[in-house]
Amino acid sequence: MAALGMWLLLPRGGARGRSVGAVLAVMALGLGASRMPRLGDWVGQSVFSILAVVTVIAAAATVSFRKPVYCAIWFGLTLLGVAGLFLLIGAQFLAVATIVVYAGAILVTFLFVLMLANQEGNTIYDRVSWEAILSAAAGMVIVGVLSLTIGSVFSTLPAMDARQISVSSPEQLAQGVLSPNHVASFGMELFGRHLIAIEVAGVLLLAALVGAAAIVAHNQRVQGLGFRIQDSSPTSLPKSESQTPNPKSQVLNPEP
Amino acid sequence: MPAEIALLNNYLIVGAVLFGIGLIGFLSRRNMIVMFLAAEMMLQGVSLSLVAWSRFHNDFGGQMLVIFIIAIAACEAAVVLALVITLFQRRGQLDVADWQTLRESDQPPFQDKPLSQTPGEQPESWPRLTPAGIAPDVPPEKIDYRPKV
Repeated sequence: MAALGMWLLLPRGGARGRSVGAVLAVMALGLGASRMPRLGDWVGQSVFSILAVVTVIAAAATVSFRKPVYCAIWFGLTLLGVAGLFLLIGAQFLAVATIVVYAGAILVTFLFVLMLANQEGNTIYDRVSWEAILSAAAGMVIVGVLSLTIGSVFSTLPAMDARQISVSSPEQLAQGVLSPNHVASFGMELFGRHLIAIEVAGVLLLAALVGAAAIVAHNQRVQGLGFRIQDSSPTSLPKSESQTPNPKSQVLNPEP
Repeated sequence: MPAEIALLNNYLIVGAVLFGIGLIGFLSRRNMIVMFLAAEMMLQGVSLSLVAWSRFHNDFGGQMLVIFIIAIAACEAAVVLALVITLFQRRGQLDVADWQTLRESDQPPFQDKPLSQTPGEQPESWPRLTPAGIAPDVPPEKIDYRPKV
């Protein structure tokens, strides 16, 4: 698993070697998938495999594509995959809620990309990433550690014998999480035990709404509606910053 | 390995992979919108494992947590997009490196390497407009606009 992480170091960020990186990532994905234990029935196994592979590939594409529009689209595919996985494990309401909530979020993000970003993705900040190797190493080390821990715990489970860990039987599941009237029991739980948390979440949503409006309104009051173009010199930089060559990244062909 | 435990194991691993990819994206991308997407992806990974635990323990607690995660993510999206608009209005681009004056004082500044056009990439092209009217009589040293736009 750790070796797979090391392979995955290559693809991020740079312009060269992206195809090699993609091939390596797919190989790592396949190897990792071959280590995973089989589910019981082949239908569930195949559906799970397809959904998981789609989700992971879309996630990797989200962070590695250059054009932000494609990033948003691939992130939508990731969300669809996650919603499918929710549905497969029996969380129907969450699957639908994810799609409904995040469809709006994706749409707004898409709008933002269309308004603000450079469509071609050839600005320097889309082409060059921060410490690509370090961040890829960090992420893959985390994935490796997590999956090793999970794997070791579950591989020692049969030795620990079934007394300590209680696997729910299908009958229990059918009365609990997988009950036919899923949404009803879900709502009972949500507005029974977690009623206060729901209220707090509502207040938090309101606060976030007011906060977002306040941020934008304050900014427009400070700045007027004026719009600073890229090549205007930054006025309030400290001295040490203005002595160094201007680290602002430049758009290759600045718009007139 | 029983099927339920295998299911839990697989879901946890997929959640971990999503979280790791989101972490990589958040650390390495410089476009603010893409960073936002990567943060959302980390939330997705966590909620996937929470739902898996909820199934395993036959309890709705994990799914409740995911509901709250979705609510928090909506709040976060609102605030983040407001901040992105603000920062974009200040500097006119989405680069995070633009705000590196906020770094700690003992850190060296981040410098962009000069980057040539990659071979497969076309330079940005502007549409050629039909000339209309008479060209104004401006001495060439005073021309500060582009002759072709």
